[in-house]
Amino acid sequence: MANVLWLQGGACSGNTMSFLNAEEPTVVELVTDFGINILWHPSIGLEIGEQVSDLMEDIKAGKIPLDIFVFEGSIVQGPNNTGTMNYFCDRPMKDWVKELSEVAQFVVGIGDCATYGGIPAVEPNPSESTGLQFLKKKKGGFLGADFVSKGGLPVINIPGCPAHPDWVSQILVAIATGRIGDILVDEYHRPKTFFTDFVQTGCTNVNNFAQKIDGGFGKRGGCLFYEVGCRGPMTRASCNRVLWNRVNSKTRANHPCLGCTEPGFPHHDLKKGSVLKTMKHLGILPKDVPTGQSKGIYYLRAGWEKILPYNKTLTETSK
Amino acid sequence: MATKELNISPVGRVEGDLDVQVTMENGVVTKAHTQAAMFRGFERIMAGKDPQSGLIVTPRICGICGGSHLYCASSALDTAWGTTLSPNALLLRALGQATETIQSIPRWFYAIFATDMANKKFANKPLYQEVVNRFAAYVGTSFQKGLTASALPVQVYALFGGQWPHSSYMVPGGVMSAPTLKDITRAHAIMNQFKNDWLETVWLGCSIERYLQIQTWDDLMAWVEENESQRNSDLGLFIRAALEFGMDKFGQGVGKFLAFGTYLHKDRYNKPTVEGRNQALISSSGFFDGKNYHDFDHRQVLEHVDHSWYENVPPTHPWEEPLPTPLESQNLENTDFGGKYSWAKAPRYMDSAAEAGPLSRVIMNANPNNMDHQIQDPLFGDIMDKMGANVFVRSLARVHEAPRLFEQINTWLTEINLDDEFYIKPEEKDGKGFGATEAARGSLAHWVEIEGGVIKNYQVIAPTTWNVGPNDEGGNPGPIEAALEGTEIEDPHDPVEVGMVARSFDSCLVCTVHAHDQKGKELSRFKL
Repeated sequence: MANVLWLQGGACSGNTMSFLNAEEPTVVELVTDFGINILWHPSIGLEIGEQVSDLMEDIKAGKIPLDIFVFEGSIVQGPNNTGTMNYFCDRPMKDWVKELSEVAQFVVGIGDCATYGGIPAVEPNPSESTGLQFLKKKKGGFLGADFVSKGGLPVINIPGCPAHPDWVSQILVAIATGRIGDILVDEYHRPKTFFTDFVQTGCTNVNNFAQKIDGGFGKRGGCLFYEVGCRGPMTRASCNRVLWNRVNSKTRANHPCLGCTEPGFPHHDLKKGSVLKTMKHLGILPKDVPTGQSKGIYYLRAGWEKILPYNKTLTETSK
Repeated sequence: MATKELNISPVGRVEGDLDVQVTMENGVVTKAHTQAAMFRGFERIMAGKDPQSGLIVTPRICGICGGSHLYCASSALDTAWGTTLSPNALLLRALGQATETIQSIPRWFYAIFATDMANKKFANKPLYQEVVNRFAAYVGTSFQKGLTASALPVQVYALFGGQWPHSSYMVPGGVMSAPTLKDITRAHAIMNQFKNDWLETVWLGCSIERYLQIQTWDDLMAWVEENESQRNSDLGLFIRAALEFGMDKFGQGVGKFLAFGTYLHKDRYNKPTVEGRNQALISSSGFFDGKNYHDFDHRQVLEHVDHSWYENVPPTHPWEEPLPTPLESQNLENTDFGGKYSWAKAPRYMDSAAEAGPLSRVIMNANPNNMDHQIQDPLFGDIMDKMGANVFVRSLARVHEAPRLFEQINTWLTEINLDDEFYIKPEEKDGKGFGATEAARGSLAHWVEIEGGVIKNYQVIAPTTWNVGPNDEGGNPGPIEAALEGTEIEDPHDPVEVGMVARSFDSCLVCTVHAHDQKGKELSRFKL
């Protein structure tokens, strides 16, 4: 049995909607079969009114143990660090987050807004939003770089815009079944089990990438890295191993990866020429290259591949 | 008799943050104010950015209606850039919109709305026990079936968009994807599963064809009583229980209805223009003032900010509207409702507050002037004549759309031509654009102005803005504020009626209603 409280700050509810798509287990099965006791959730909680703030007061006072505090959405600090742009139960939401984080065994940030600040934190960041323990790449965020929850871990970040339902449900099950010791986190506090491989791992166009065959919108086949800004080789996430809605992924649907599990999404802060386009030097050299390679080496190798005759079977497509 | 103010914080099961204060006299709500309690400033974030930013940013305004935002964002750029759209592109966009909306029907009904019918307020009603058995949260026999089935239509969305929520697959000039035969056949199969798992078996208790024969209120009543299967289906039970519980007796609203319409016909919007949009819609647009239908003209939309926490500007059309400058906000307790009191603006159409949502859509579907390619469904014209808007009718409108959407999705899938194009690369240029659609919960529109190759102005009016917006310049209430007025609260310690009114609009906000006596002292605490 694990008590879960799920709150939303500067959120679109997208992570909740994604979570409701979960299968094996479904949200209902998490509750009925896996001992996840959802103390309250803004979209599906039954309690309303003072019952909710009473519940939170009881949690704060330790009368009700809080095993997992899930937060979705950015921490809204504006204006001028008052947090009054986001009230919840008549108080700035950020004040609730601070207090609840102190009593929770584990704090889980779900989605980019909770982990890194997300889209609300894009310049000029009108709501002064930040993530729980990061603002973009910078460690600190709302709770501070040194924050460790009672259970001994920093905020467990499950980024993505939205996070995949399985990333959320499997981590909740891991905590509920006593496997917290197996959850290793990376430099951005992401569970390595989901965020070690790159989106490119399992992409159906990976051979096109290797042989530098361009794709594009409305086309079958080809790699989206060269023209329409795919970030699959720079983005750690299991989108092409644990498929979305059980059937697909962005890149399999000819949709460039937007890099939404990496801090900095939307990358280049939406500046002119950066949206659904590959930013280039001299009109040909991609500004962002696959993680782990130096630009010079990448350009050399890619240039070499580009001039070699490629395997023509790769360009065969069928309706 | 006593005047009381009611406070419930939060009501929950709506999305986002909203506070409501209601004043009651003799148990009847005499005044209500809605307060949107969260600001993120998306319009400011997009100013000065890449013209395509809306494709990435706006779906993230709302995780529930992300596909609808994408439909608007891509359409707004289509009109600004003068793109060409292939029939396939229009079909795949319509499919995205339709699958998102049909997904939302069981999800909204079971997770958000019907659990209120299991409230003890109705415990003395004969159908109460069956309603609890069926609709109680988590443990109701239909709750999990409906919630699980709701994940199926968005699998179809994911086949074309990669994932749901938060895809950006609709782009100016068409769509990113170029599906193949197996995507189409899988889509048919998934929708068939949805029909077998829920729509015909659990929900209707009859075939879709039989349900779609219903033309009038009397037809609907006859359908319920036609046989045990229909009588005892979830829809049959919902209709019988809602009438028994008196859900047709409260939540009337402003009596004016607005729909921007949606589903641009594959052969009628290949050269997208703002002017050509009305004629190209399959689900028609319009404004119904309670008596007459008026053609929709986006120029009739003005946003008021007198009671919103933004710097004052006169009522303005979104294209001319400055980016909002936020002012200091208050919590509910310290709010002066004579002044500014919400983060929502107050949009008005032909100077009236207007209700957006499925009810507005099905009222437009009953417009006798609809063209041959448009939905022609007289049912809600008849229902409006007989009873007008209320909590039951609004909810019935929402669920009434499921069988027709199912048929349309299958039709559109068959119309995709796998040999034809899906995307035609547009030329980027400066200009103004307008894109609109019907999100599951009502009319949604984006207005964009591009100058110097970047976004100069981006304005979004969401359905919830129409419904939960505050008073306008003239002090006239918004639709939910108006719908709460006159609502009888049977037990002020358990004002489930207030939650039901708010949820019948499917507000995209977390709704909080606070109870105070006339001195502002808190009265009671409740569970809805």
